[in-house]
Amino acid sequence: MGSKPESDSSDARQAAKSDTRSAIDGAAMAILRIESGKRVRSSVVLVVVFALLAAMYFAMFPSIQEEAELLEDAFPAVFFDMFGIEALHTIEGFIAAEIYSFFWIVLVGIYFAYVGAGMIAKDVDERKMDLTLSNPVSRESVVLQKIAALWLPLVVLNVGVGGIVLLGGIIIGEPLDPVAVTMVHLLSIPYLLVCGAIGLLISVVIDHVRTARATALTVVFVLWLVEGVSRLDEDYEWIGAVGPSRYYDETAILVREEYAFADAGILLAVFLVLLVLAVLLFTRRDI
Amino acid sequence: MCAQTETLDTEPDHDATTISLDGLTKRYGDVTANDAVSFDVGAGEIFGYLGPNGAGKTTTIRLLLGLIKPTSGSAAVLGADIRDRRALTAVKANIGYLPDSLGFEERQTGRQVLDYFARMRGDERREELLELFHPPLDKRVETYSHGNKRMLGIVQAFMHDPDLAILDEPTSGLDPLKQDRMHAFLEEERDAGKTIFFSSHVLSEVQRVCDRVGIIRNGGLVALEDVDDLLKRSGKRVRVQLAEPVDESAFVTSEMIDVEIIDATVRFTYTGKPAELLEYLVQFAVEDVDISDPQLDDIFKHYYGDDSPSGAG
Repeated sequence: MGSKPESDSSDARQAAKSDTRSAIDGAAMAILRIESGKRVRSSVVLVVVFALLAAMYFAMFPSIQEEAELLEDAFPAVFFDMFGIEALHTIEGFIAAEIYSFFWIVLVGIYFAYVGAGMIAKDVDERKMDLTLSNPVSRESVVLQKIAALWLPLVVLNVGVGGIVLLGGIIIGEPLDPVAVTMVHLLSIPYLLVCGAIGLLISVVIDHVRTARATALTVVFVLWLVEGVSRLDEDYEWIGAVGPSRYYDETAILVREEYAFADAGILLAVFLVLLVLAVLLFTRRDI
Repeated sequence: MCAQTETLDTEPDHDATTISLDGLTKRYGDVTANDAVSFDVGAGEIFGYLGPNGAGKTTTIRLLLGLIKPTSGSAAVLGADIRDRRALTAVKANIGYLPDSLGFEERQTGRQVLDYFARMRGDERREELLELFHPPLDKRVETYSHGNKRMLGIVQAFMHDPDLAILDEPTSGLDPLKQDRMHAFLEEERDAGKTIFFSSHVLSEVQRVCDRVGIIRNGGLVALEDVDDLLKRSGKRVRVQLAEPVDESAFVTSEMIDVEIIDATVRFTYTGKPAELLEYLVQFAVEDVDISDPQLDDIFKHYYGDDSPSGAG
């Protein structure tokens, strides 16, 4: 640097650096903490929505059970194929159909995509990212802390809704297998993470938060739709392989107690690929 | 000649350069937001970065913080090359930043916002700063006025006692009392050896607090000089209201430029000493005098030419 030694100022700077080291360690958690806090309200609201839905469906089940055959005749078979519905007369089949095959996969999937899509785009849009990145925190760390904050909705929703479903079964005298209910939630985590990462990737690419969110919702919904429709025709079933919902089968888990760990592994791998892609893109772009 | 002046200008600061820009350029398609900007900011000075809105001040600041990447050229901040992300991230622990547009978590209270930044980089000077600038800490940021937001921004920018503060239009939205307080605070910080990089479009503000000034226009640096020199060259904008119309040749002196006479009102830029102007005016039947700082654009027009920027120093 300079020709004359400036020991005074460089010593001071060195001291300042060691002083701030503890602050830098704190930076590794500050974003995770604030982001987690932001997810509390919406997660709780979603659990309440599921509690109301569950109350309705569990109350309906005894009367539905008697008419299950009628119901199965009343709707065309494609309807059941598309949603992967079977064994409606059992509580497992009924709950898989009513709660998990639509509300969990679509509603919660879209929620994760929505949250993911806001992670970067919202902060860039509102100029929050300027302040965030003025801290001694790397862009990699910002993305990872934000995605890590999904632990909160994952825990709240899975524990909350899983508990409600188990409780509902006990209340109406049709207890569900706790292992199967645990697995239906556990194996949905990779699926939800993929939805979140789809949102995140879009969030990194699109600057306007509304556009990013709308795009993410549409992508997740269309993927679900394509996967569902593709099941109707064996010739086109392969197309549905692009839909993450292909790798999560709630009915198989609850009704047949089949746990597809390999499929969950595929989803986790896809999640990691999307995450790495998002980090790489974010570290290379202007904000 | 020109090169010599530049060497003389930058020599004293050379050993302790805090910010150093070298041909820093940022283009967005056809728009050149920063055009080969080069200058140094020495340790322990208040450097004013002056230019009209849209001149490229914020672009420079965002380049220095690594928020955007230069198209060409480079810069170093506290010894870290801005293209070296890792090095730049490390020195940010020692930088305070006050952006032009403050993006806080609106739902949080001022206190929670400060807690958040404290976890990122420390807050040893929080209480001391809150005595000078006191945003309502228990209220949510979404209820804050411009001034309160700006005060919260000032506290977060300085509470970890950084060696370098980068401030983008720091006093906009502050009432005059708080502006004075801010100026005094910046001078204290400078005297304590801190470096302040201060962007503004208000000439008088830069004149008051800055030691040296760089003027940017249309993305290019058009001047780099001591504030005292700038003041000498910029003159004052004067409006004189006379009792009766006056003949131009009888009134105008060589120190008056850009003269405009309408009936009994004379407007001009005075490049001499204010005291001499007042002495001179006494001989006329003056009804009213208004002396003010010239607009930045006037300075550009008279001292740096109206065409494309002439380049650094």
